[in-house]
Amino acid sequence: MREVMDEFGASGRALGRPAPAAARAELMPSGFASPAQDWFEDRIDLNRHLIKDITSTYIVRVSGHAMDGAGISDGDELIVDRALHPRDGSVVVAVLDGELIVRRLRITHSDTSTDPETSPTTKSNSTDPGDGTAAGVALVAASSAYPPIPVPDPDGLVIWGVATRCLHRV
Amino acid sequence: MAWSSGVWPPGASTVSDPEPSPLGRGPVTGPVTSGVALVDVNNFYVSSERAFDPSLEGRPLVVLSNNDGCVITRSAEAKVLGIPMGAPWFQIAGQAKNWGLQVRSSNYELYGDMSARVMEVLGRHTTDLEIYSIDEAFLTLHGTHRAQQATGRTIKATVRRNTGLPVCVGIAPTKTLAKLANRWAKGNPHFDGVCHWDLVPQDQRRALLRRLKVTDVWGVGTRNAARLNAIGIDTAWDLAAADPVLIRKRFSVVLMRTVLELQGTPCITSSESTGNEQVLFSRSFATPVTTLDGMQQALSVYAQGAASRLARKNLQGRVLTAFAGTSPFSTGTRSAPSICIPLPAHTANPLELTRAAHRLLPLIDEGVSYIRAGVIITDLQPAGTQDSLLTLDQDPAAGAGPALGKDTGPLLHQIGQRFGRSAIGLGHAGLKAGSDWTMKRDMLSPHYTTKWADLPLVKAQ
Repeated sequence: MREVMDEFGASGRALGRPAPAAARAELMPSGFASPAQDWFEDRIDLNRHLIKDITSTYIVRVSGHAMDGAGISDGDELIVDRALHPRDGSVVVAVLDGELIVRRLRITHSDTSTDPETSPTTKSNSTDPGDGTAAGVALVAASSAYPPIPVPDPDGLVIWGVATRCLHRV
Repeated sequence: MAWSSGVWPPGASTVSDPEPSPLGRGPVTGPVTSGVALVDVNNFYVSSERAFDPSLEGRPLVVLSNNDGCVITRSAEAKVLGIPMGAPWFQIAGQAKNWGLQVRSSNYELYGDMSARVMEVLGRHTTDLEIYSIDEAFLTLHGTHRAQQATGRTIKATVRRNTGLPVCVGIAPTKTLAKLANRWAKGNPHFDGVCHWDLVPQDQRRALLRRLKVTDVWGVGTRNAARLNAIGIDTAWDLAAADPVLIRKRFSVVLMRTVLELQGTPCITSSESTGNEQVLFSRSFATPVTTLDGMQQALSVYAQGAASRLARKNLQGRVLTAFAGTSPFSTGTRSAPSICIPLPAHTANPLELTRAAHRLLPLIDEGVSYIRAGVIITDLQPAGTQDSLLTLDQDPAAGAGPALGKDTGPLLHQIGQRFGRSAIGLGHAGLKAGSDWTMKRDMLSPHYTTKWADLPLVKAQ
């Protein structure tokens, strides 16, 4: 088992690991210091920009047109963070009939005492049981051709992760 | 299974036991101290498959070993079906459909990445992470027992949230007890996946130790168990109560440490338990190898695989063992040749290792169907401790061949890392077009997290 770990264990770390910073400009050997050394910055790093936590970030591919209206097209890649708490309006990857689907989460509350932070839809995503106060939960498309998917049992809904970015070829 | 019998919840029985306890530790909550947590993923391969394919949830699922040989991981549902661990696939394949059994080949690319994610999460909760295998690690935890348990719960929740994988956590004063606590946490739902040894009432800990055989204790093999039984040590409780000095005299210092650990004294250090004792590179062939050429090629690949691992760990080895074997199910000629080659000096040089591995070839019978081969490197030391005196350029046996010095290994390793593992190889192993003996994985799931072409699909339909 350990050998397998050694063989492949490093692969997950390739993504989003920033290169060692700074110090390069300081190491110039000559007496003529670089005039830029006080302004040295790391080069722009997409991984750092797009990924908050490498352990909870996954990339998935969209299949279909239901989210066209949200700027998410067929074939696009979505960056999904499984650690994020889904809220009303989040674009989520949810489990429906054993499949992963992408939709916008809509939570409507019945009364004023409701805490909007308390999502009833966090079965897989949070430790708190999410004592549901939601009157209605639905997964809605961003295209009128696809009717909203009602969620009669919000506690049974599994939110796989929350989409944070869409990679779309222009 | 002894693990699941009901000795929990606490308070169910707190009658004080008049017997003296072999366990050195009494207090139920205890002062600020440090403990060892063993965290491991439940049914790791199965859980990794399910993390990306929710349709597998709740269905019987098994993952097969290299070459789809036999069952190496079973979901709870597959265990209920009575599929034994290690069952050869060909024996159960016929019934798979009737059972509704889902089957996957080992997706090491996926498991490796999921493992790295888990280990990174674990590393955020401790100053001292010791990765023990692909799916388990020891962590040092500080604070009161309650605080340690709380950290255990946080770890379990965070790994679940970030990776979708379920883990169990066992916390105890020693690694050996942490192992027990971990399995207890798995077997008894009342723990909810996290068991702190010191927070379980003492009488229940005793009851557990009395139920467990010595072989249930980490590090006690069957050979020692037989000898222990012969002197009346049958259960984990007996072993915990044994005299450590006597155990050292009659057995070994290793077993004495186990006794001390059972008594609550930590004495298995990380270098001992992770042990860089050997590097093993071995595979079963998809189709049997029956020719000397085929075996030579296989040994080349495995020797270079081992060299690559040595380079990655920054180690060099002094002894190489090469072996091959026929199938235990074979009705034809059986053969299991092996040879042990002391190397002239510590080395991680792939060409030296390959040449040594080839010395197995005279023992190979042409025409016999070999189904596996492998290379083991032992007597390891950190590279650079002592410069290799005999590099290839100086080896007279290398003759006028191309000069491949001691930089060759790291260079090949770098190229392999950059362009893929089959991009470069020495001599017989320099091959990309798959030989017919490369690993068979007919029921492989996508490499969801390591390959753009294999990303999980989410439906917008």
